[in-house]
Amino acid sequence: MWRDPGAPVDSYYEVRPECTDVPKTKFRIKAGKTLSARKWQAAFSPEGHLDIGKTLGRIQRGGIHPSIRGEVWEFLLGCYDPKSTFNERDEIRQQRRVQYAVLKDECRLMFPLIGSGKFITAPVITEDGEPIYDPLVLQEANVSSAEGIDAFNGSEMAKEPNTHCTMSKKEIQWKLTLHQIGLDVVRTDRTLMFYEKQENLSKLWDILSVYAWFDKDVGYCQGMSDLCSPMIMLLEDEADAFWCFQRLMRRLRGNFRCTERSVGVETQLSNLASITQVINPKLHQHLETLGGGDYLFAFRMLMVLFRREFSFGDSLYLWEMMWALEYDPELFIMYEDPELASEKSDRSKGKVKSTRQCGKYERENMKSGGKSAEAPLPISVFLVASVLKDKSTKLLTEARGLDDVVKILNDITGDLDAKKACTGAMKLHKKYLKKAKNA
Amino acid sequence: MGSSGQGQSNFDLSFKILLIGDSGVGKSSLLVSFISNAVDDLAPTIGVDFKIKLFTVGGKKLKLTIWDTAGQERFRTLTSSYYRGAQGIVLVYDVTRRDTFTNLSDVWAKEVELYSTNQDCIKMLVGNKVDRESERVVSREEGISLAKEFGCLYLECSARTRENVERCFEELALKIMEVPSLLEEGSTVGKRNILKQKQEQHTPPAGSCCS
Repeated sequence: MWRDPGAPVDSYYEVRPECTDVPKTKFRIKAGKTLSARKWQAAFSPEGHLDIGKTLGRIQRGGIHPSIRGEVWEFLLGCYDPKSTFNERDEIRQQRRVQYAVLKDECRLMFPLIGSGKFITAPVITEDGEPIYDPLVLQEANVSSAEGIDAFNGSEMAKEPNTHCTMSKKEIQWKLTLHQIGLDVVRTDRTLMFYEKQENLSKLWDILSVYAWFDKDVGYCQGMSDLCSPMIMLLEDEADAFWCFQRLMRRLRGNFRCTERSVGVETQLSNLASITQVINPKLHQHLETLGGGDYLFAFRMLMVLFRREFSFGDSLYLWEMMWALEYDPELFIMYEDPELASEKSDRSKGKVKSTRQCGKYERENMKSGGKSAEAPLPISVFLVASVLKDKSTKLLTEARGLDDVVKILNDITGDLDAKKACTGAMKLHKKYLKKAKNA
Repeated sequence: MGSSGQGQSNFDLSFKILLIGDSGVGKSSLLVSFISNAVDDLAPTIGVDFKIKLFTVGGKKLKLTIWDTAGQERFRTLTSSYYRGAQGIVLVYDVTRRDTFTNLSDVWAKEVELYSTNQDCIKMLVGNKVDRESERVVSREEGISLAKEFGCLYLECSARTRENVERCFEELALKIMEVPSLLEEGSTVGKRNILKQKQEQHTPPAGSCCS
């Protein structure tokens, strides 16, 4: 059978010519399989109601054409209700842009470099709230002119040395993370041409800094720059990118929440352990013997959703497949108005949610009863489980220490197939639900 | 899980090394520079990563398992479990950023004290990025005196130009081999240090605090 080899996508996410060892993207734009701009537009009614069910199948199989990725992601991540009209969405978009501007202003008042096109990579404050005048900071703040340093000195803490006494704990906490964000921004996706532009780097810094203020429980944690970077590339407007990132964080923020004794993702790791125990007890036993029963070796895969295991283009493809599979049309309401959402779901207990508008993974969860007591596991955990399953022979026969486990899993980088990984995850999920039911 | 030594006879000794230090000082770059020459701009380390290097020092074929950790404070609960059983710990700072140097005494030395189970473990202070001499803010003398205070080895290097990179791991390995207890740990390759260490550790932290 003749197969469409598809068009490559690397031209959309151009890599710096001198970076030669970057893995190539396997994802290809395939006519009739990939969700195209035409098919996407055809899914809207004249008023703007989106029949998202029509598009999910395509995304699950063939991904999204890079030209419309940003706007489709906004729906997949629950920024908008597919049942809303064009006008309603415009209104929400405008409101959100204003809301973002307000947040950003708040941040700028505390730290004038926000939104200035510059950023810092050295600490500006001590844990007690004392300002640090690191030469590096002054230099970074002062790149272009005297105006830079004025801006820096214009900050509250510099103007009146005593005001830092009244600086809230929250503000200190936030300022303590700013240089960490800067240090990561300069190291995120630097193989891409996109980040050769200073303004894109500072955009990434701004969004992550504003987010850290917006979500103080999480603040900033390494890994978040990997998740935020694609948003900036796909959505031109900074505020839109922020909210899309914020929606992604709604799903993932639990992983990044830390206490003195643990990192949030450990919850998912223990879920992964239970899944493997059910599906592949031998492998689980083996990992446990090697001292890997905590599954910490899968930490990165879950934290940055496989960004380090796939090329840039392939991780975007993987993400959209995952979100399409997990899609729940009530996402928007759940995020906007949790109370209304739970009321609604109480009322419609007897009624079945229109399954046609749900992703395949979500449908499986609904079928299995979807005990409302516990939130369903994210598909990402099953993705890791399926990667482990693929490597289980190798892991069982060759791994004699935890270092071997990490090595075997590190070696998959660049070899993984996003589509196969998703199919594998779906199969395992089904198997798991079945076994869990019987148990 | 047999202890059949198949495929393991290509080295005489095996050591576990840990890289720690503030975010962005170049821990991963140092490691990559040591393993494979070229250093591009590397992405931040998420959690923990590691690489293996086989090389010959003092007539012995060594296998170094080098664990690379994320610098951000909130990952410390996670990285702490990797201190166990390490025969060598490299504390890295950036000679162009003073805060990364002061944090060695304020933060990292304390971490080592707290988590390293190996009394005899060899420590080494490494000042990275000496290729950026014009931006240097921490002098060599300061580095040496801190190393003296900690009672550890000292070197300045550049992951970018590879200056002193190999020497750093060589000196560390040689020093480890001088210590009988460490040498013995390194020789018991059949049993695998990491395995042993991980099993001992199984009762306490990491994952026991399920929320």
